[in-house]
Amino acid sequence: MRLSLQWLAEWIPLEIPPEALAERLTMGGIEVDAIERSGADLSAFRVGHVLEREAHPNADRLSVCRVDTGEGEPVRVVCGASNVAAGQKVAFAGDGTRLPDGTAIKRSKIRGVVSNGMICSEVELGIGADASGILVLDDAAPVGAALSDVIGSGDVALELSLTPNRGDCASVLGIAREVRAHFGGALCVPETAPREGARAAKDDVRIEIEEPADCHRYAARVVHGVRVGPSPDWLARRLESIGLRPINNVVDVTNLVLFEFGQPTHAFDLATLRGATVRVRAAREGEKLLTLDQEDRELDPDDLVIADAERAIALAGVMGGAETEVRAGTTSVLIESAHFAPARVRRSARRHGLMTEASYRFERGVDRAGVARAADRVARLVAELAGGEVCAGLVEATGAPAETVEEIQLDAERVNRVLGTAIADAEIQALLSRLDIQHRRARGGGDAYRIPTHRNDLARPEDLVEEVGRIYGYDRIPTTLPVAPLGPVHAPPLRAVAEQTRDAFRAAGLLECMMLPFLRSDDLDRLGIGGEDPRRRTVAIANPVLEDEARMESTLVPGLLRAVHRNQTRQIDAVQLFNLSRVFFARGGSTLPEERVAVSAVITRGERVAWYEAQDDRPAPFFQAKGVVERVLRDLSRPAEFAPEWAEPYHHPGASSAVRVEGARVGSVGELHPDVAARFDLEVPCALLELDLSALAAQGAPRTAYAEVSRQPQSSRDLAVLLDRETPAGDVLAAIQQTGGTQLVRTDLFDCYEGTGVPSGKKSLAFRLVFQRHDRTLVEAEVNRLVDRVVKMLGHRFDGELRNAPRREE
Amino acid sequence: MTSRTSQELAELEREAVEAIEAADSLPRLLEARSQVLGRKGTITESLRGIGAADPADRARLGRELNLAKQRIEARFADRRAALEAGARERELREHRLDVTLPGTGLRSGHLHPVTQLEREMVAFFTGLGFSIEDGPQVETDYNNFEALNFPPDHPARDMQDTFYVEGGNLLRTHTSPVQIRAMQRLEPPFRFVVTGRVYRHDFGPRSSPMFHQIEGVMVDERTSFGDLKGILYAFARQLFGARVDLRFRASYFPFTEPSAEFDVTCPNCAGAGCGTCSQSGWIEWGGCGMVHPRVLENCQIDAERYQGFAFGMGIDRAAMIRFGLPSIHVLFEPDARILEQI
Ligand SMILES: [Zn+2]
Repeated sequence: MRLSLQWLAEWIPLEIPPEALAERLTMGGIEVDAIERSGADLSAFRVGHVLEREAHPNADRLSVCRVDTGEGEPVRVVCGASNVAAGQKVAFAGDGTRLPDGTAIKRSKIRGVVSNGMICSEVELGIGADASGILVLDDAAPVGAALSDVIGSGDVALELSLTPNRGDCASVLGIAREVRAHFGGALCVPETAPREGARAAKDDVRIEIEEPADCHRYAARVVHGVRVGPSPDWLARRLESIGLRPINNVVDVTNLVLFEFGQPTHAFDLATLRGATVRVRAAREGEKLLTLDQEDRELDPDDLVIADAERAIALAGVMGGAETEVRAGTTSVLIESAHFAPARVRRSARRHGLMTEASYRFERGVDRAGVARAADRVARLVAELAGGEVCAGLVEATGAPAETVEEIQLDAERVNRVLGTAIADAEIQALLSRLDIQHRRARGGGDAYRIPTHRNDLARPEDLVEEVGRIYGYDRIPTTLPVAPLGPVHAPPLRAVAEQTRDAFRAAGLLECMMLPFLRSDDLDRLGIGGEDPRRRTVAIANPVLEDEARMESTLVPGLLRAVHRNQTRQIDAVQLFNLSRVFFARGGSTLPEERVAVSAVITRGERVAWYEAQDDRPAPFFQAKGVVERVLRDLSRPAEFAPEWAEPYHHPGASSAVRVEGARVGSVGELHPDVAARFDLEVPCALLELDLSALAAQGAPRTAYAEVSRQPQSSRDLAVLLDRETPAGDVLAAIQQTGGTQLVRTDLFDCYEGTGVPSGKKSLAFRLVFQRHDRTLVEAEVNRLVDRVVKMLGHRFDGELRNAPRREE
Repeated sequence: MTSRTSQELAELEREAVEAIEAADSLPRLLEARSQVLGRKGTITESLRGIGAADPADRARLGRELNLAKQRIEARFADRRAALEAGARERELREHRLDVTLPGTGLRSGHLHPVTQLEREMVAFFTGLGFSIEDGPQVETDYNNFEALNFPPDHPARDMQDTFYVEGGNLLRTHTSPVQIRAMQRLEPPFRFVVTGRVYRHDFGPRSSPMFHQIEGVMVDERTSFGDLKGILYAFARQLFGARVDLRFRASYFPFTEPSAEFDVTCPNCAGAGCGTCSQSGWIEWGGCGMVHPRVLENCQIDAERYQGFAFGMGIDRAAMIRFGLPSIHVLFEPDARILEQI
C-alpha cells in the first residue's frame, strides 16, 4: 500500500524525518519497503491569473498572455499550450525560477516577443504525466500564492507491505494510529456528519439481508441532485499520490474514504436500480453480472451479491456492476457501506480473479463500528463536491453479529514470562493504552483489556503480549539463553545413512549437485520405463509453474542426464555427479505418496582401468561406477553383490548389473544405453549408479566389530587361467575363495586379457592368491596342496586351463 | 732426519690444514692427506725422527706430534664428509624433477554448498541438545496450514504460494508441518530442528520454486522470547562470525505469537549499506516467534503450562551470504565448474 506523508500529516503530527518514521514502523511490524519522494518543492512557483490571451504575431501555435502574478504589474508571457485561456488560474514560473528538472526560467524573446516567465504543465512541475497542456488550477486559488500552498509540494510516499492480520492498517487512519502508538500525538479525524435535507432516505430505498451470516451490516445513504464531473485538484492529486487514477467526483470520493478509514464503499446510480429494495443475497445459479471492469461474469451460488428487484448489481465486497455505475448525467446516488464476512468475500475474489482494494480490506476484516461513519463521510463529501442534498437518515439492516472478542484477560506475569522481560503492570497498561486497548479490572479480579473494534486480529492473551512487545520494542527485550536439561540427541536413522553416503561419494571424487526435482513429461518414455514400473506412479502437480515440469521425480536419472548434457554444451565432457534426493511414488486418491531417499550418480569418460585391455575406453566409466558402488557400500559397512542382469531398461544390455546387499536389491549400476544417450543428446559414454537409501536404512545399522589379524607370514601364488569368454569373473573369484577355505585370506584379480596368444572365444584371467594362518607359518607343501585343489576345481567346474605353473610370490 | 722444534711443528700442522681445506675433490684431499700422513708424509717422517731427538725432548715431542696428527685427521674427516655430501647432492641433482609441473590429479569430490551449510547448522543445534526431526515433502493441507493456525479462506494463505498435487495434498511450503508431526508425538520439554526442501509456486530472478529451510522448536515451561533472541544471536555468530548483529522486527506468522522477522548484518558492507542489502545494511534472513498456543493445543499440549519458541530460515540464503552468490539459481545449476568451486 502506498501512503502519502502529506496526507498522513493531516491526521497525526509528523515531527520526525521520513527515514526515522519508516524505521520505527518497520520495527513495529508495518514494513516500509521504500520511501519515494515525488514532486519537487513548488514554493517558488506562484498562482497566476491569465487576464488576456492573444495570438502570437509571428507564430500560429503560440499565444501571448497577460498574467497577474500578484506582484506589481501584470506580466507578458508567451505560451505554447493550446488550452491556455483568459480567466484561468495557472502555475506561473517567473524569471529565475528553477524547474524540478533543473532548467532555469529566464526572461527571453520568443519569436520577437519578450516573455517574462512561463505557464507550466504538470510535467514541467514534476507532479504528473499530463504534457498535453498547461495545468489549470482551481478558480478559487488566490493569485500570487505559492503554488505549494495550493497543490502541495515535495510529498513523500511510503510503500508499505502489510501483514495479513493488520487489515486495520490499510488506511490513513490505521497508520496514523500506529504512528500515535509509537510517537504520541493527537489524532485529527475529519468531519464525517453530512448536512441532511428534509427528505428521508427510507422513502427511496429499503435494505434486506437474505444472508445474515455473511453480511453483518449494510448501511446506505442517498444523495439527490448531484452533478457528476471531474474532481477538484486537491482530490485528484490526493488519489494520484497513492497511485489511483481520478474518475469523477463521486467515485473519487468513495476511493478517498476507502483510504481514509479503510472502509470500502460503493456508489450506485439510484435511477438505474429497479424497485426500491436493495437485497444482499446469494447469486442464483447461472446468474450473470457485468462488472465495472467490463467483464461479463458468470456468478456462483457461493458469491454474495447486492441485487435490486431483478438482478445482481454488485459482487458484494469486491466490485460494482457496470449497469448501475455512477456516470456523467447521474443525479441521484445510493451510497453503500457494509460489513461482509471476510471468508465469503475472499472466496468470490479468488473465484473471479478479482483482487480489489475493497476485497483486500474485507478479507482482512473491517472495523465493525466504522460502517456508518464511512457512509456519512462519503455523503458529506459528495454533497460538498458534486452538490446535491443528502437525504435524512441512514437506511440500514443488520445480519448476524460478527464474531468478536471484546475483552481479553492478561496478567503481567504472563507477559514477562513469555517475553523474558520485567515490565511493570503500569507500563504494560500504558503501552497498551497507546493502541486504544484500555485496562480494566476483570470481573473475577486480575487484569483485563478492552479490545477496540478496529483490532479484530486480537483474540487471545498472546496477541496482547505481542502488542506489548512490539510497542515496547523487540530490541529492548533482554537477550538470554535458555536453560534446559542435557540429554541424548535423536536423529532419524536414514539421516546417518544419507550423510555417510554423501561423504563416501565425495571421497570417491564425485560432485554433489542439486536440481529442481521435477520430471519432464517425456522423461520416462525416453528412459524406456514401461507402464508397469512403479516409477510410472508419479505424483502430478495440479498447478505447475511450467506445463512440461508437472511431476515430482520418481527417478533421479533424467535430471542427471540433463546435467551431463548441460556440461557437454559447455565443453565439459568429463563429469562425475551425484544427486541425493527424495523420489515420490503416488498411492492414489488423497493418500500421501510414498517418499524414498535415493542417490544416483553419473560418470562420463571414467579413468582407464589398469588391468582391463580394451579396444576403446567404453568400459572405463562402468568400472569406475561399480568401484564407487563398492566403495560407498564398504563405507556403509555393507558388502555389495553384483550379478550380470539387465537391471534397468536404460542400461546397455551388455553392461548392466543389479546391486544387492544381503540378497535384497538396493540399486543398480550400468552403462547408459546408447539409444537413451542419443535421446538425451549425450555424446560421451556414461555410466549410472543408483542406490535406494531407504532400503539400506531399513536393513538396520550393521555392527562393525574387530577381527583379529594374523601375525604369521603369508605366502602368495599367481595363477593365469584360460577360460571361456562368457564365464563371469565374479563366479570364478567366488569359487576360488570357497575352495581355498579359511587359509586363503585374499584373492585379487589383476589381469583380464583377450587377444594375441589367447584362442578366440577365450579369455585369460590372472589371480593372486594369498594364504595365511593365524596360529603358525604355512609350509610350502600345504600351500601347494591348496593351490592344486583350486586348479583342479577351475578345470573341473569352469573348464579352465592353467596357462603356466603357479608362480610363487613372496 | 733431525728433530723439530715446536715452532716448526706448528708450521707443519698449519700447512697440512691449509692443504686439506683447499682440496676441492676427494682425490685432491687424499693427495693432501698422504703428503702429511702418508708413508712419506711430513708428520709420519717427523714421528720416525723422534728417536734421533734429544732424549730430554723425546717425550714432549712425541706427545705434540701425536696431538697434531689427531687434529689433522679430524680436519681431514670433516673435509671428506663435506666433499662426499656435495658429490652425492650433485649426483642426485642430475635426476632433478620439474616441481612446477602439476600434481597428478586425485579427483576431489565436493559436497553441495547447501549440504555444507545444512551440516554446519545442524551441528550447532545438535551440540545444544536439539534432536533432528524429519517429515514428508508432500503434505496434507492440515499439517501444512490448518494445524499451524492458517484458517481456510484466510489471507494468511497468500503468504505462501502453494503447489497442489492431484488428490488435494500439496508440496509443503515450509518445514513447519514437521513441527506438527513431531509435537503430536513428543511430550514437553523437547527441542528439535528440522531441515529439508520446501516448495513455493514462485519462479523469478530472486526466487526458486524449491529451496531449503532449517527450523527449530523448543518447548518447556519457561523458554522465552529473550531466549529465542539469545539462541539466534549465537547461531548467527557461529555461522557468519562474531561481529555480525541481528535485528528483530515485529511481524506476523499464524503459527507464532508474538512473531518477528530477523535480519543479519550485511556481510558485504558490514552494515554500512550497499547494493546487496539495498543500502539498508541488513539482509533478511528468517522468521521466528513464540509457538502459538493454538498450535500447541492442536498437538494436545497444555498451552497454559508450556511455552516455547520456533524459528526458521533459508539454508540457501545462508549459502548465498557465505559464498557471495549473485542468485539462488546458481545453487541449482549443475555446472561442474560451479559445483567444485564452492
Ligand atoms: Zn550491504
